[in-house]
Amino acid sequence: MTVFLHNLKYECISTLRSREMIGWLMLFPIVLGTLFRVAFGSIYENDVCFQSIPTAVVETGENEVFAEVLKAVTESDDPLLNVTAADEASALKLLRDGDAKGIIYAGETVSLTVAGKGIQETILNSFVRQYSVYETVIKDTLKQNPQNLPAVIEALSADTEVCVRQSVTEGNPDQFIQYFYNLIAMVAIFGCISGLNFTTDNQTNLSPLGARKSCSPSPKYISLSAGLTGKCIAQSVCMVICVTFLAFVLKIDFGDRLPLVYGTAILGGILGVSMGFFIGSVGKLSLEIKNGILMTVSLVLCFLSGLMIGNMKAVISEKAPWFNAFNPVAVISDCFYCLNLYSDFERFRTKILIILFDIVLFTVLGMLFSRRKRYASI
Amino acid sequence: MKQSVVKIENLVKRYGDLIALDHFSLDIREGEIFGLLGPNGSGKTTTINCLLALLSFDKGDIEIFGKKMTPTSYEIKQEIGIIMQNVAVFDELTVYENIDYFCGLYISDREKRKQYVEEAIQFVGLDEFRKFRPKKLSGGLLRRLNIACGIAHKPKLIILDEPTVAVDPQSRNRILEGIAELNRNGATVIYTSHYMEEVEQLCTRIAIMDRGRKIAEGTTDELKRMICNTETITIEALALTDEIVKTVSELPHVYDTAYDGTKFTVFCSGGKHNLLRILGVLQEHSVSIGRVFSERPTLNDVFLEITGKALRDKGE
Repeated sequence: MTVFLHNLKYECISTLRSREMIGWLMLFPIVLGTLFRVAFGSIYENDVCFQSIPTAVVETGENEVFAEVLKAVTESDDPLLNVTAADEASALKLLRDGDAKGIIYAGETVSLTVAGKGIQETILNSFVRQYSVYETVIKDTLKQNPQNLPAVIEALSADTEVCVRQSVTEGNPDQFIQYFYNLIAMVAIFGCISGLNFTTDNQTNLSPLGARKSCSPSPKYISLSAGLTGKCIAQSVCMVICVTFLAFVLKIDFGDRLPLVYGTAILGGILGVSMGFFIGSVGKLSLEIKNGILMTVSLVLCFLSGLMIGNMKAVISEKAPWFNAFNPVAVISDCFYCLNLYSDFERFRTKILIILFDIVLFTVLGMLFSRRKRYASI
Repeated sequence: MKQSVVKIENLVKRYGDLIALDHFSLDIREGEIFGLLGPNGSGKTTTINCLLALLSFDKGDIEIFGKKMTPTSYEIKQEIGIIMQNVAVFDELTVYENIDYFCGLYISDREKRKQYVEEAIQFVGLDEFRKFRPKKLSGGLLRRLNIACGIAHKPKLIILDEPTVAVDPQSRNRILEGIAELNRNGATVIYTSHYMEEVEQLCTRIAIMDRGRKIAEGTTDELKRMICNTETITIEALALTDEIVKTVSELPHVYDTAYDGTKFTVFCSGGKHNLLRILGVLQEHSVSIGRVFSERPTLNDVFLEITGKALRDKGE
């Protein structure tokens, strides 16, 4: 046990100090995450934040009731319309220049002119139509129960929604969040660098350090298990830093299951380490060649899981669905997706089981390949 | 007679058609500094790797401290310190941490280990560099760290595989003095090198290897007695005639001569006063001479005479 703890201590220290660990697993995700946030930030804001509809109003006659309604929908905390009073010529110019989405002609009757077919034009159209329907009700309310007018106007504004988005989860269904899931999955899978270095440092035929360790009286299974544990702890630290940075510094909304996001990220990291350990144990290629192979494989897996092109995973799902089940990056990323999108845990549980199975498989195979005692050549 | 520490019998190691070790045998006794001398590729490192049970071999037996050596001979490994040809330390750990890590693989007791690590740091003279990482150390200091990692646990058998390759003379001397001190403190040392001066200076017994075979074994003097040459006399002389060269060649105990126009070299085998006799001949013929050198044979001469080639590659 003492030797195990001794190995564990120094494995953690050396791993957390290694340049690759700091560069690829700590700084790289911070930089890439920040770039993602900057790139998708404005799109995100536009997508989710409602903006008042710029509208020109041309008075063609006296309509006290409509003026009251207009006042109500422009002066609320979250105004539906951003009204510019204008004569007809100015209003048409605003419409042509795109500074107004529509012109409301307010007189005895209320009519609307729009120049396009967007959502805002549809909302304007709906608003004017609703006003026509409610006009009598509003007039009656104004005469008989003026104190109820705000409630009636609120009902009118609410009905202007063409369709209502009803979320099935407490999570964040925004499409850009997928990039951040993939980023965490990539950091997790980059744990393979750490796993590969670990194999190299422990195998007699791959490094002088491995040879020296093999000469020690410490049984190999102790140094392997202690070392792997150390690598997994160090990788978990990196995963926690990555998720914390994304969630609390970049304010990425991972929904209401953040502890499970942390847990998944840590498991994903351990999967990365075990994959690197396994690949490092096979064959007698140099560290540089194995590193090159591993980085290429990792980046290809990241690409196919949609890190570079958002809908790539959907394309793979359609063309080769089996591959997404096999691709560890896709599996880790799917875990976050399931966690965020589905209220139940069924799919999430399945993905976690796949990750656990992969971890056990890679670790056992890696141990079997590494347990070799003597080599034909060094 | 002292107890046998390492016993290798008829060791054969093949890499395909290449025979790396050809029925190689050794018997190293307690307290010796045993030198394995041979050119690059002669099989020194292969011998060490087989000895440490890192390499499989085709035939033969290896015993250390009287017990058969296997990869799981942890009791034996506990008593061995290994200093590899290539520096084997963690780049991310400091000097102190590296020594502590390797010492900890052998010594569980924390207090004892702390003391051993301090002693190892003092021993190799890395006290002021204890917080340095290996990348900040010079080649010589790095070699010293490599040695400290191998000897911190006070092993009874220390194996050093070419520990002074690419080391400056100052560090080299320090390393050699250190090895001698370890031996004085009771450790048996196996030292491989292709630097004959080091082996000659340090080792109590030497085995010379070539192409996987042991071609000679003994103390330095025993090895030198194996060859014909006992003295090489070199005289700076201009315009020697063939007649003079022939006269010198016919002197007693002279078995060979060489003259390149400026240096006259005479190889003698046994006998006394060879130099006086040669100088006498040159004086008789009124030859002007410059500097005169008389050299005892080196291990390189031994190797040269036995194998017909120089021990060390030119330029090394």
